[in-house]
Amino acid sequence: MHDTIIVGAGCAGLAAAMYAGRLGLKTLLIGENIGGTITLTDVVENYPGFVKLTGQELADNLKKHAEAYKIEKAEVKVTKISRNHNCFLVETNEGQTYQGKTIIFATGTEWRKLNVPGEMEFANKGVHYCALCDGAVYKNKVIALAGGGDSAAKEALLLSQFASKVIVLARGGKLRGEPINNQRVAQNPKIEVFTNVNIKKIVGDKIVKALVLDRPVRDNTTLNVDAVFIAIGHVALSQLAKDIGVKTDGKGEIIIDRESKTNIHDFLPQEMFATQSSSKR
Amino acid sequence: MEKNNMPRVKVYSTSTCPWCTKTKEFLKENHIKFEEVNVGEDEKARNEMFDKSGQFGVPVIDVNGTIIVGFKKDVLKSALGI
Repeated sequence: MHDTIIVGAGCAGLAAAMYAGRLGLKTLLIGENIGGTITLTDVVENYPGFVKLTGQELADNLKKHAEAYKIEKAEVKVTKISRNHNCFLVETNEGQTYQGKTIIFATGTEWRKLNVPGEMEFANKGVHYCALCDGAVYKNKVIALAGGGDSAAKEALLLSQFASKVIVLARGGKLRGEPINNQRVAQNPKIEVFTNVNIKKIVGDKIVKALVLDRPVRDNTTLNVDAVFIAIGHVALSQLAKDIGVKTDGKGEIIIDRESKTNIHDFLPQEMFATQSSSKR
Repeated sequence: MEKNNMPRVKVYSTSTCPWCTKTKEFLKENHIKFEEVNVGEDEKARNEMFDKSGQFGVPVIDVNGTIIVGFKKDVLKSALGI
């Protein structure tokens, strides 16, 4: 049995593994993608200690640091967590079941959806959420980018390396990215920004052809595009925790105390508790 | 696996896609030979990928005609028989 099983192998999970390893705990780090969401980020320029590196390089550094201590890793998807009389059971999509005295939830987030007609229908058929993953498929095409935050600005900059044109559609009155990224967007001749605009519908046949907007852009509420990338934030992935009775707030984020313990920390005998660690890019 | 039983594997990928990198690493680790095409540079390959998979997400892996979208290790293992 492991002293702790860290569910989620992104930045937070790798950091937790490093500390658990240093504490001499019998530790299992388990997640579908060792490195997590940061590996889907092109360039990271705001992680202290590193002026500029790729998301993959940052993940590799964190992994290397964790592996400097005696920990076990499993690159598989956790499908279920349950409790029995003296431990937690962690089941995977490859049929393994691990036992842990404690669980650290580092399950992170997933992309927030627009929730408009056409979004699901055209998923991967012109509707995408990761510029680093799928942006290059749209070389010399016209791409819309939904979002107005820093992630949206960074995604637009990356997409401009592939597309003939990137049209940013921001819900608010201005871009809310870091000033340095807003400036880069403003200076990029391939990127055009429209504010105070919402996508009402995504339309096409086999693939995306156009977006229907709630106000005219270029004198028309229908905007012809080859694809739309969506970067409107993230939502917590906490269902595995909820399933064992861990309380979450209105956003689905795990509620923890000052010591990062959840509400079920006293379910098990002394020193057995579930806790949360989360990461945001 | 016997050499003459090696599966025919084609990976449709781009130069930036992290899941494509993971897919190719997985195949190499398991000594599976594969053909790689870059759909970000090759329009014909891009169209071929869409014809096979009906979508534009990468990677797409063709294992003896079985089309797998995304790096799904368990599905890929099953298709490869490993």
